[in-house]
Amino acid sequence: MKKKYRMIHDENLCIGCQACSVACRSENKVPDDLFRLQVRVKTEGVFPDLRMDMKRHSCVMCEDTPCVTVCPTGASFKTEDGLVQVDPKLCVSCKYCIVACPYEARFINPVTKNADKCTFCYSNRVSKGQDPACVTVCPTDALVFGDINDTTSEVYKKAKESTLVYPKAHLGTKPKLAFVPNKKGVSYE
Amino acid sequence: MSSTYSRRDFLKTTSCTAIIAGSSCMAAKLGSLDNNIINGGVTKSVNTYCEMCSSRCQIECKVVDGKVSFIEGNKHSKGMSTSVCARGASGHSQLYDNQRLVKPMIRVGKRGEDKWMVVSYEKAYDFIAEKLKKITDEYGAKATLFSSKTGENFNHIATFANIFGSPNIFSHVSTCPITYDIAFEHTYGGKLKRDFSNAKYILNFGHNLFEGIAVSKTKKLAHAANSEKTKLVVLDPRFSVVASKADEWYPVKPGTDLAFVLSLIHVWLRDGKYDKEFVEKYTIGIEKLIESTKDTTPKWQEQITGIKAEVAERVANEIYKAAPNCIIDWGHKTTTGASEYQKTRAILVANVLMGNLEKAGGLFFGKKAKSVNKIANMDIAPVITNPDGHIKYIQEERIDHATQKGANVFVSRKMGVLMDIPDAILSQKPYPVKAWIMTRTNPLITVANSQKMKKAMEKLDLIVVNDVYMSETAMMADVVLPEATYLERDEGIADVSSMAPAYMMRNKVVDPINKTQTISEILRALAKRLDLDSNYKWQTVTNFRVQQAKGNSELLEKLAKDGYVSFGVPSLLYREKSYVDNFVKKYPSAASNLDSDGLFANMLKFKTPSGKIEIFSEEVEENFPGYGVPAKHDTDVAKGYPYIITSGKTALHTNGHTQNIPFLNMLMSDNPVWVNPLTAKKENIKNGDLIYLENNIGKEKATVFVTEAIRPDTLFVYMGFGRESEELKRANGKGTSQSKLLSLDKGPVCSTMITNIGVKITKA
Repeated sequence: MKKKYRMIHDENLCIGCQACSVACRSENKVPDDLFRLQVRVKTEGVFPDLRMDMKRHSCVMCEDTPCVTVCPTGASFKTEDGLVQVDPKLCVSCKYCIVACPYEARFINPVTKNADKCTFCYSNRVSKGQDPACVTVCPTDALVFGDINDTTSEVYKKAKESTLVYPKAHLGTKPKLAFVPNKKGVSYE
Repeated sequence: MSSTYSRRDFLKTTSCTAIIAGSSCMAAKLGSLDNNIINGGVTKSVNTYCEMCSSRCQIECKVVDGKVSFIEGNKHSKGMSTSVCARGASGHSQLYDNQRLVKPMIRVGKRGEDKWMVVSYEKAYDFIAEKLKKITDEYGAKATLFSSKTGENFNHIATFANIFGSPNIFSHVSTCPITYDIAFEHTYGGKLKRDFSNAKYILNFGHNLFEGIAVSKTKKLAHAANSEKTKLVVLDPRFSVVASKADEWYPVKPGTDLAFVLSLIHVWLRDGKYDKEFVEKYTIGIEKLIESTKDTTPKWQEQITGIKAEVAERVANEIYKAAPNCIIDWGHKTTTGASEYQKTRAILVANVLMGNLEKAGGLFFGKKAKSVNKIANMDIAPVITNPDGHIKYIQEERIDHATQKGANVFVSRKMGVLMDIPDAILSQKPYPVKAWIMTRTNPLITVANSQKMKKAMEKLDLIVVNDVYMSETAMMADVVLPEATYLERDEGIADVSSMAPAYMMRNKVVDPINKTQTISEILRALAKRLDLDSNYKWQTVTNFRVQQAKGNSELLEKLAKDGYVSFGVPSLLYREKSYVDNFVKKYPSAASNLDSDGLFANMLKFKTPSGKIEIFSEEVEENFPGYGVPAKHDTDVAKGYPYIITSGKTALHTNGHTQNIPFLNMLMSDNPVWVNPLTAKKENIKNGDLIYLENNIGKEKATVFVTEAIRPDTLFVYMGFGRESEELKRANGKGTSQSKLLSLDKGPVCSTMITNIGVKITKA
C-alpha cells in the first residue's frame, strides 16, 4: 500500500524555540538568511488578556498542488507517496510556483538558483525510513510524522486523539501538514 | 484596542517570499535531486554532551567527510531521545565560524585597542609564566584571580589556582544560581530536583524553561503543561512562553513574588492546611514561621504584587488539595531584587509545608551511585572519584572575604562573588590584585556595572582570556588563548544522576581546528613552566578518566561509545511506596533498610546544623538578624524610578556567548526593549524608536518594541546583546546591554547579582 504521510504540529507542545528551523538549515544546507521552515510566534490580545500562538511556516505538502499545476517544466512534482519535490535539473527559476503557492513556502535558492522549499527531507531522510530533521530534534515532541495508514504509528495515534486543523483548508489544497490548535490563553477568534 | 506582533520583530524571519525580488532568473544548474552534499553518507557518529549553554544536554554528532554535519539529541539518554534545542543544533556553526579565534595572540597596542601579535602557544605560555612569576614574587600568588563558568573547565582552573597558591577563584554562580544554592543549604542541607512529569500542580515563578532550555526538563514541563492532569500557574511580569502555556498567568510586579508566597504560607498556617506529620517529623522552626507570616494575608499581598487576594486564597487551597504531588518552583536565575534570598527560602519552605519531599510529582534528592548502593546493600552502579581530590582549597583571605564573617559569610570559597572584583582591584583592598586568568567567561557582558569592571581591568598587569570568540573581555586581555570547543575535546566523567544513577562523558567529535588547545592542556603547560606540574596525579585526559572510573574499563568503554550511561536502576523516591516496592523487588537485599511503613524515609539525611529541614535557621539569624525565617522584606525594586528593567533568556542565545554564531545570529541578532503600549503613549515613543534607558549606574541605548505582553511599569530585554567587540562582526553594535544599568549592590545573605533595577526613559 502506498504511504500516506502526515506531519502533525501540536501548537500546544510547541515552544517556538526554532530548533526545527536550525536542524532544517543544517540538514538541507539552506543558504544563510533564508528559511525553509520557521515557527512564527504571534501574541494577541490586550494586557493582561493574551494568547500566544506558534505557527509552523513551511510547505504543507498539498494533495491538490497549485505549484505542480503551474510548473511549466515538470520540475515541481509529487513523489508516488505524494510528497511535493523540486527537480533542480528541470527548474528554470521562472517563479510561477512561488507566486502560485498560497502558503508562501517557496523561494529562490541563491546558490542553486532553483525554486526551493521544505521537502519533508524526502530524499535524504524519509525515503531511508528516518523522520524529517525538524521532527527528529523537536525538544518537546510537538512534531509527529509518519504513515497515517499504519495504525501502529505515532502519527496515527496522534491524529486519532487530537482535533486536527489543516492550514487554509478552504482552498481545497488538502495539505499533509496538520495542526493541533492552541488551547491556552484568551480567545480572540 | 488590540495589538499583534509576530516574532518577526525580533527573529530575523526573512520571509520565504521576501527574497524573490532580489534573485535573478537563471537557467537551472546541473545536479541531481537533493544533491550529494546534502545526503552524503554519515562516516561516523559521536555521542557526547553539549556546551552551547550550561544545561549540558546529551547529544549525538554526525560527521561526514571529517566535518560535523548534524547534531541531534543522544538517544541513549531517555530524557533526551533525539531532541536538541536551536543552540545545541548550532554547535557546528560555532565550530566552523570563520570569526572564531584559532591562534594565540599577545597584545601589542594599548589595552583594549585591538592590536595583536599572533604567537605560538609556546611563546604565549612563556610570556604568561614569566609575568606570573614576576607578579607572584612581588605581590604573592593571591594577587592572581582565576575564573570560569562552572563545569569541567572550572574544575581544572580551580585546581590550578589551588596549586598555584591563590585563594581567589570565581565561578559564574554569584551572577546566576547562588540564591537557590545557598537557600537549599540553609533549608534542606542540599539541592533538590523537581518531578514535573507527575505533578498535579505546578506554581512557577518565572522559571522560563521554554526559553532557558534544558531539553529533558523542558520536555517534561511541556508535556505537563499540555496535560489535563496538571495545572500550571505562572507568575511573571512578562507574557513569556511559559506564561503562554499556563492555565493561569499573573503579571506580578517585579521583585514582589515574596509577598505572594508569604500569603500562601499564611493561608496554609491560618487554616491548618499543611502536612503536620511531615513538619513535626522532619523540620524545626514552624512556630517562628507562624509568627513571621501572621500578617502576610492575601489582602496584604494584593497591594504589593497586584494579584487579587482571592487568587492567592484559591491557589493556596488548590495547591493544598494537590499536595504532595505539587511543585512550587524556585526557578533558575530568578533574581529580582534585594528580597531574592527571602523569596527563594519562602518557596522552599512552602514546599516543606506541602510534604512533597521524595513524593511523585514533588521534590527529590538526586540518587547517586553511592546512595543506591548503600540502600541495595550491594554495588548496583559504579562510584566515580576525583583525581584532583587531594588538592585542597587555599584557606587564605579572599578578596571578597567569602566564608568570613560579613556579607559573604555563606558564599563558598569555590564560587566567590564576581561583583566584588572591581572594588577590590580599584581599592587594592584587602590586598593588591594584579592578574586575572579566565576561561569561558565574559564578565564585561554578564556582570553588573560593566563600566566599573572595565575600569578595574585597566589597572591589571596581566589578563589572560581563553575563549572561542574575541569577546569584550578578550579585547581587554594581554594574552588571548583560543579555546578548543566542546566538540574538539575529550573530558572526564560527569555525574548526572536523577531518580537513578547516570553518568555522561564528553567525547571529542573532531580534531581541534588549527590545533587549538583545551584548557586542561593550557593549564598543564603553564604548570610545567611554573614548576607546579608534580602536584597532578594524571597526565592526559585518558589518564584522568581512568582514575575517575577507578579502572572500570567497561564503564569507560560504554561512555566513550554512548556518551551517557545509566544502569537499569529503577527510579527511586524514598517516600513513594510504588517506587520503593519496585526497587526492593529488583534488589531484595534492600529490604533490610525498609522502615516499619515499608518506605526508605530513614534514608533521608539533611546536612543542616540541626540535621532537620530548617524552616528557621539559627545560623542565618545569627549572621543576618531577621533573616532566619522567611519573612517580609523590602520588595521595592524601582527605588523611585518610573520603570523596572528586567531581563531573561531566549531559546536562541546563551548569556554573553552565542550572539555572534551564524545560525543563531540569523534567527536573532538584536534585543529591542519591550514596552507596553500605555507606556509608549505616555513617553511619546513608538515601535522602532531609539531611546535611552538611564539610572544612577549608567545610560544605555535601546530600540523600542511595543507589545501588550508586558506590564506598563516594566521593561524587558533578552540578555547578552549590546556587544562592543568589533571582532564580533555580526553582533557588534546591536541591541542593549542590561549589565550597564545594574548595580554592584548584592542581595543580602546570598550575595546574588540583582538583575531587576529602576530606570527612566529618555529620548535619543
